[in-house]
Amino acid sequence: MIYSLYIFDRHCDCVYYQDWNRTSPVRPPPPSNFKAGIHRLPPPPDPTGAIRESIFSNQRSSIQSGAVDGQDGRGQAGPVGRTGKGIGGLPFDEEAKLVYGVVLSLRNMAKKLSGREDLFTSYRTPTYKFHLFETPTNYRFVLLSDPSGDSLSFVLRKLYTGAFMEYVVRNPLIDMNSRDIGIDSDAFRSAVDRQMRGLSMFNT
Amino acid sequence: MIHAVWVINKAGGLVFNRSYSDVLPPLPLNAVLILAGTLHGIHAITGRLDPTTNSKSRSGPSSGQGMEAFEAEGWGGRVWLSGTGTKFIVLHSIPHSGLDELLRRIYEIYADAVMKNPFHTPEMPINSSLFETRLQTLIAGVNT
Repeated sequence: MIYSLYIFDRHCDCVYYQDWNRTSPVRPPPPSNFKAGIHRLPPPPDPTGAIRESIFSNQRSSIQSGAVDGQDGRGQAGPVGRTGKGIGGLPFDEEAKLVYGVVLSLRNMAKKLSGREDLFTSYRTPTYKFHLFETPTNYRFVLLSDPSGDSLSFVLRKLYTGAFMEYVVRNPLIDMNSRDIGIDSDAFRSAVDRQMRGLSMFNT
Repeated sequence: MIHAVWVINKAGGLVFNRSYSDVLPPLPLNAVLILAGTLHGIHAITGRLDPTTNSKSRSGPSSGQGMEAFEAEGWGGRVWLSGTGTKFIVLHSIPHSGLDELLRRIYEIYADAVMKNPFHTPEMPINSSLFETRLQTLIAGVNT
């Protein structure tokens, strides 16, 4: 079972998020922290209308929705996010910070304990497993899966050398240094989606 | 190969640590204390990041939903939370079998040598030669 994917850039910001079989709710971040393109959570109501939505938001309703993330996982998470003010769950920005905090502290701990530049690669809890892949340019890919699986670092490596190179690094429309927008590309999003759905353990 | 055993009390303080191999470099006590505190924090956060709704409760020391094991390149750690909130950590080489059994044995020794000792103050550092020698024997048996 694959639950979710986070990508962090070298500024320690989350630039990409996607989830699949996740069942715990996540709330959209507050307007002040809403960054377009990182995720497809519905924007919170904002009286000033200052939120900049994804450049793909408008097309989504017509053509793209089915192709990208229409059918299942998103279908459940969407309504929860929209009506979920009262339901538990962390706002997305808080959650991303926690994920990054774990990456950083475990990484430092592994380094100190081993005395080498060792990286921690995964950890597991009774309910999920956390995989980390780090690139030389300090991009960090984090994948959450069910606890029974083997190491999925190879999946993240493939994602980096495949879809990420093709649709993000070689894409002049994506500003890799931007701190306001994430990886706002539907081509990348559907490529990630395809790759994850292609895994044998995607929903078993 | 078992590299080290730590015991962390429910407040996140390190009450026991002993190294059993020289694969991982020796660290000053202060560094280990800080790492133990960090691990305690990480353990709490990992329980909250649960992407599933299977967990029964998200609070209380015995919910046991936090990190169970972590892996780095060539070595890893196993964390076991007792019902009373004390964490037992074993650092080991990868792959390693029988860790669940080993942690259970360590807990048994802890119960016998530490908790049954009327002179031991709960949550305070463990100063028990009985605990140390019995642990030493156990780990030596595994490390051969």
